[in-house]
Amino acid sequence: MGPVRQTLRLARTEFTLFVRYKTAWMFLGLSLFMFVVPMNLPNDPVLGDIGSADLAMIAAMGSIGLIIGIGHPSNVFTARRESLVLKQLRVNGVTPGALFGAMTLLVTAMSLAIAVLGVGLIYANSGSLPQDPVMLVLAITLSAVSMSFLGLCITPLVRTAESAQMAAMVPMMFLLFTGGSIMPTSMFPDAFVEMLSFLPSTAAGQLAQASYTGYDVFSGYESATRAGFAELWVAALPAVGLLLLWTVLFAVLAFRTFRWDPRQP
Amino acid sequence: MTTSTEPLPDRTAADGPAVVVRDLHQHYGNFEAVRGISFEIRPGELFALLGTNGAGKTTTIETLEGFRRPSSGTLRVFGTDPYGQPAALRGRTGAVLQGNGLMEDLTVRESITLAHDLVSGPRDVDELLALVALTDKARIPVRQLSGGQKRRLILAQALVARPEVLYLDEPTTGMDPEARHTTWRIISELKRQGVAVLLTTHYLEEAERLADRLAIMHRGEIRVEGTLDGVLASWGDRITFRLPEEVGTDDLPELAGAEAAVGTRDGRLWATYTVTGADVESRAHRVVSGLVAWSAERDVVLRNLQVRGASLEDVFLQVAGAADLADQSHPARLG
Repeated sequence: MGPVRQTLRLARTEFTLFVRYKTAWMFLGLSLFMFVVPMNLPNDPVLGDIGSADLAMIAAMGSIGLIIGIGHPSNVFTARRESLVLKQLRVNGVTPGALFGAMTLLVTAMSLAIAVLGVGLIYANSGSLPQDPVMLVLAITLSAVSMSFLGLCITPLVRTAESAQMAAMVPMMFLLFTGGSIMPTSMFPDAFVEMLSFLPSTAAGQLAQASYTGYDVFSGYESATRAGFAELWVAALPAVGLLLLWTVLFAVLAFRTFRWDPRQP
Repeated sequence: MTTSTEPLPDRTAADGPAVVVRDLHQHYGNFEAVRGISFEIRPGELFALLGTNGAGKTTTIETLEGFRRPSSGTLRVFGTDPYGQPAALRGRTGAVLQGNGLMEDLTVRESITLAHDLVSGPRDVDELLALVALTDKARIPVRQLSGGQKRRLILAQALVARPEVLYLDEPTTGMDPEARHTTWRIISELKRQGVAVLLTTHYLEEAERLADRLAIMHRGEIRVEGTLDGVLASWGDRITFRLPEEVGTDDLPELAGAEAAVGTRDGRLWATYTVTGADVESRAHRVVSGLVAWSAERDVVLRNLQVRGASLEDVFLQVAGAADLADQSHPARLG
């Protein structure tokens, strides 16, 4: 059985299990909640007709993969390792690549589903729709994949599903609070904001806002201008590259630190 | 790590061993869990690895499953080093782990179907459900199964890929007697089909019924190895009787090929002769004849006289150093 077929088959089971896990629904709910929070905030215009509340809701697009990706894989992979499920899967011939692939597929699919709901909420709130849906899908997908691998990096550090949930909160909250969707990054010192621009959550949020508004927001709202299709993609390349870099880094870390067995070597 | 320089069997050799373990050592830090064990398993053969908790059985199986790299020594499964589960071995080996690695939120059928869909050339799902007598439980979640039913489900998953080598780590733990007998029948049929089986169990009866050869491990070493008959023959026959009141412990006769011991049971003194020797079929008769002649000469009766071959439990307890505890006595060794 090839790894691709194994991945797709495991992804089906991951979906079945996701629907049955109460904790998984909590992560879905939290990512949807991120769209609801700014709905009644003052919507002062920032980019043409687009207001600050709209931008906060759009930035929440970049948080979906972050919440589901860090929260769900770290939780279930830790629980499965401790209950020997991973070990049994391995003796049944499953490869790590298939396991990781299935999980990232699930997180990506769930993130895109929440994004569709998010688009509905934004449309209901301000009547706007994404200007570049392909870039929006790419932003959500890259965010989901990179954050899934980050979530998988947490599993070797913890011994129980409960401690995995606690540990996952640290990077999740840090990236949420510094990503610009909960609080404006302008309240942080300039040097810190400069550092934050290299975070995957910042890149995902900027890509989401650019794709949704059609504005080149990568250098800040003050200098943002409406960009054409090709112009916007060229401006987006550094953010896409940054997300790819984080994805590779987290993937390598996840593969190198992954443990099948609860017993320490 | 491979340190042995001995040539290993060619994986293409049809009659060669499926599993070869040579001088395996396995360390956890300063603790040496396995200390230089060696064995082979041929297709169609069941090799039972017995031992107390912590003897090193599960470590040995996990090393064979490819989860651990040996500290030293050589392992080959069909001529291939199993560490890291190379693609060449995927689907050729199956395992029932000591714990139940099951996704509890799936149903029984979903669990087997998943295992079925992950391998090439699998057994039919309904056939497997029937084989492990879980057809009527197919639609219920795994979490609602009893411990024994979960073990049967794990066994079904292990058999999905039609493995040529099967590692069974305490496969019948938690099963009721009927399920255990069903499992034994399945394992016997697998042997008949040519599957090489490595079994660990705490049920000695299981090893007696199924094993072609067995080894008893203690503190990381194999202390006893051979066929069941061979192991029991070398361990000796036991002749016991209540020590007559008019006979002192020093009065017991010395008989060739037999070692006498006296112990206390139910507040009485009992004599036990352990008879060893190559003449397995007649050695007990020879010693009994000597004892009967001695009792006639002394005009005493050997009450509750019993002759029995050693059981696997006797051997196991001796190897584990727990025989004295089991007897609750402290025999004085004579002769």
